[in-house]
Order: sequence, then C-alpha cells, then structure tokens
Amino acid sequence: METFAFAPAYELPSWPFTPPPELNGTTVVRHPIVIVGAGPSGLTLACDLAQRGVHAVLLDEDDTVGVRGASSRGICYAQKSLEIFERLGIYERIAAKGITWSFGRTFSGEQEVYNFNLQANSVSKQPPFINLQQFYVEWFLVERILELGMTDVRWKSRLTRVEQLADGVRLDIETPAGSYTIEADRLIDATGANSPIRTQLGIEAHASRSTDRWCISDVRFRKPLPTERWTWVDAPFNEGRGVWQHLMADGVWRIDYQMPEDCDTAYISQPEVAGARLRQQLGPDVEFEFVWIGPYGYRDHLLDSFRHGHVFFIGDAAHVVSPFGARGGNSGIQDAANLGWKLALVAQGKAGDALLDSYDAERQPAAKQNLQVTSRSARFLAPRSPAEHTLRRAVVTLAARHPFARALVNTGRMSVANEYPAAPQLPEGGRSVQNLPLRWADGRETTLMQLLAEGTHCVGLWFAPTREQASAALEAAASLPLRLLAVGGNSGLPTLQADEQLASHLGIGDTGGFVLVRPDAYRAAVLAKPTPETIAAALRIALAHDNSNP
Amino acid sequence: MITEPRMPDPDGFYAALLAAHEGRSEAQSADLNARLVLLLANQCADQDVLLACIQAAAEEDLTTTNTP
Repeated sequence: METFAFAPAYELPSWPFTPPPELNGTTVVRHPIVIVGAGPSGLTLACDLAQRGVHAVLLDEDDTVGVRGASSRGICYAQKSLEIFERLGIYERIAAKGITWSFGRTFSGEQEVYNFNLQANSVSKQPPFINLQQFYVEWFLVERILELGMTDVRWKSRLTRVEQLADGVRLDIETPAGSYTIEADRLIDATGANSPIRTQLGIEAHASRSTDRWCISDVRFRKPLPTERWTWVDAPFNEGRGVWQHLMADGVWRIDYQMPEDCDTAYISQPEVAGARLRQQLGPDVEFEFVWIGPYGYRDHLLDSFRHGHVFFIGDAAHVVSPFGARGGNSGIQDAANLGWKLALVAQGKAGDALLDSYDAERQPAAKQNLQVTSRSARFLAPRSPAEHTLRRAVVTLAARHPFARALVNTGRMSVANEYPAAPQLPEGGRSVQNLPLRWADGRETTLMQLLAEGTHCVGLWFAPTREQASAALEAAASLPLRLLAVGGNSGLPTLQADEQLASHLGIGDTGGFVLVRPDAYRAAVLAKPTPETIAAALRIALAHDNSNP
Repeated sequence: MITEPRMPDPDGFYAALLAAHEGRSEAQSADLNARLVLLLANQCADQDVLLACIQAAAEEDLTTTNTP
C-alpha cells in the first residue's frame, strides 16, 4: 500500500496569559463591553470597536488561533468581508497571503455543466473572493487588535457561568491563575456553534443535524491548475459523490470529498484512505503531501432573536448553516460589522439603546435567508430519495446542453452582502454599497472604505448642492455623526469628482440628490430633493433616535 | 394555472408521449419524465403558475393513493 507524507505542521502563534487585576480584587469590576470568543466574528467585532476607539474586553479559552490544529476551516472570504477587512486595516495582508478568485466551474462526471464569473457584477476595489486558511485571518486580526491597543485581550479565560442582571450581565471566568467574576453592561456571545452562554440562558437554537458526511483534505501537490472554484456534483473519482476543490495560501489545496452517510469517519480520514482517494483523482504520477485531514458533518441552527436583554449573539453562536456558498464565516464577520458601529455610537452617547435592537432586526433575517439558500444547496448535493436523485440527474443531464437547466445546478450560491428588510431605522430597507474607487476634486484617490475608516459617522453624498444648501445642512446636522461630502459642484464642502459608476451604483446622480451611507457601508436613505431638515431627519431615523434620546 | 383544454391535438400529444416511453425501463421512464417536467417548466416560466401546478399534481396523489 502506498504511504503518504505530511508536510511539517504549521507553527501557529500563541499569546501569553496575563493575570487580570480582578483576580486579586475585592470588588466586582464592571466593563461596558465584553466579547466572549476570539474566532472570526468575535475578533472582527473587537477590531471594529478598536478601530473606532472603543475599549472592550475579549475573552478566549485558548491562547492561539485555529481550530483542531491548523485545519483550513473557513476558507472563502467574500467581497463584503474583504471590504470590512480593508476598513480595519488588514486587507493588504489578506490579499498578499491569499488567493484571489472570481471564476467557478461545476462538473458532472467528466463534463463541465456550468460556470460563473462573479467579477461581472463588481465595482469594488476588493475582488469577489479571496481564499485563505481561517487561522491566517484570525492571526492578522489578533495582531491588528494588539496594534490598535484598545482591547483587553484575555487568553486562557473560560466563561463558566453567566447571569442576566437588571442592568447588565455577570460573568464567572476561570483562568490558569484562578477564577474571578466581572460584570458587563453588554455581553457579546461569539463562542461559536456550541455556545455555553446560549445553553446557560436556556435559549432555543432550533438545531437540526444533517446526515451528509464529508472529508477535508488540505494537500500540497505540483499540478498546475487554475485558481478557480471547481465543484463536482458527482465525481467519477469519488464513487459518483460530490467534490470541492479550491487553492488556498502557501500552495495548499483544500479538497472536500462527500462521503457515504453511514461512513466510519475515523476510517475515511486515515492518511492511506484519503491518499488513495487523491491518487484516484490525480493519477499515478502526481506527487503530493498532506497538510491536514479531517471529517466533518454539518448542522444548522438559527436563534429567533439575536438579542436577549444585555446579551448579543453573533456568528455561529447565533446561526449555523450548511457550508455551501461560504455563508457561515462571512455572515459572522458581517454580524460583527453591523453591531460594531452601533455599540460604538451608544458607547459615545451619540445613539440610544434602540439602535442596538436594529442589529437583530437586520442580521436575523439575513441569517434566515442564508439558512434557506444553503439548505437548498445541501439538498441538491445530498438527495434524500430515489425521486430526488432522478430529478437531479435530469437537471445535470439537461444542463450540459441547455442553458436554462444550468440555473438549477446548485453547488452553493456564493455569499452576498444580504439586503435588509424595511424597518423603523431603514424605512426603505438597506443594501450594501460596494467599496467604490473615488477621486477627490483635486485628483487624489480615495475609496468609500477610506471615507468610513476614521471615527464613526455616516457619510452623506450630495450631488452638486449649492453653497447655501451645504452650509444650512452642516448647521442642521451639527450635533449628529455625519461626514457631509459633495459629489461635483461648487458647494465649499469636501468634494469628490462626479462619476457615472458612483451614481449608478448608489442609485441616484441627478443634481441635488443625496445618499446616506451608514458606517457599515449600507445605504440608509436616498433623497431626491433633500433639505437640511430632511437630511438631519434621515440621519436621526438611521440612528434610531427618538425625542427622548440624543 | 389554466385547466381548460388548450392543446390543439390532445391525442397526438399523448401518443407522442407514450412513444417516447416505449421500450424504456421504469427507471429510464422516470428519468425521461423528470427531464420533460424541467423542459416544460422553463416554457411556462411563471413562478405562480409553476407552484400552482406542483400543488395540483401533489394533491391528486393524496386523493388517489388509498383507493383500492
């Protein structure tokens, strides 16, 4: 039997446990914001807050990044996530380390049945996707958080008990140097799928477990292949089951093999067994070495509400979907970016608690949509009955010859920045504005993310206002977090060059039109004929102000 | 969903459908039917009509399966 080599293991960073002052204290210290869990969503939130100058305590039971060693885990980072990382200052590292792609192909048997190019709909500075092992993303986030110096990162700190108080939350924390208790005004649960906080608070997650089984092989080999997403509905080299193939950083390929439902997960992950599968795919002459092998099954769950009193659930703690389409990690990152600016404005006294309710109003429906989309992909990929197999066979057979059937081939609908439904703070609903390249009137380049990166404010883009309108609007919105910019014209405001792409992407462009963009780059309002009063009113609505708070 | 007769030559359509199934095993017939459903669905291309047709077809099944 052929034996297969493993590459030298990744050396992941680790950070020291520092005994916190509360360990020897006699009074219970209260912190405004405590985040539990240093995975992608918890780290993104801590980094987002730090970027805004807001302190937080971040607890993690481990002292390193990655899960189960250096498994690649979440590997596809979508445009919206990359735009968030640009704003947080780690995009360049991610782009330099990762693999940029936009093209995907789907095969059935030996035949290509479908392909797509996500670049076609993009006007962003960031590409549709970058593939990168999850531990690198976490690693870059931790280093950025430490560089910003606003976050009290507490490694080797395990939450053992949580209790809702009338005005906050009480936490018991266990460390190598002993246990202590703290309180938080607001607690963010980013502990992942098996959240102990959710369990302790008795919150139903509506979990269901799939019987579909997969085996991940992270592997390095010398076979020139394009940097595209290749998926097989039914691969001849995997007994007619599904296969996923992606290139990641360091020349490592992530190959996911669908396994029989009743497989022995330990057996299928043995190097000899996984190696034999790869050998069948690659042919006899290709040299390769393993980086990581492991089985996975998946499940899904969705909380009815992402806010329970003073506790907010983000990422996998709030929602888990099947893995097709990269909608898990990316939606956790977007949860964090949705909540970050709201927590910051509340911490700074510029918005009230009502703004925090909008986190649930926006991200719960987004997760519900992701659950529906990914469940449909999962069902296409793992038919449950002979009839479902028959229908899928019909789809892939027709798809090879007829374009209409290609739309039915579902190997995952890739992660998008979900649109938000109409709600009090978003009367027309909200959609993401991509990171458009922009130019100041004097020719200097900028981007929407750069305009949003400093401080915490909405950006108002006003197409060629008059000087009188501009100064009256500045006065009307003086107490509000607004960065008012002109697009073209001669208003005396900081002015961007007029640009057709900008106008068409924003959905406006006529002289006098106004678009309000939130700190998370969602479009909050479009005013065709704004006045200083309607601009200020639109801002107050977006920030969920009422008469009784700021 | 239109349930009034619209086909210009019902007997001719039915004969062609049977001819297509001739000589096929049960599994091959099931494959053919599935392909046909998908092709026809794309001709219709009206989501409300498609969902009404799916529902009408599924209801028929429930009312007849227990008949001896």
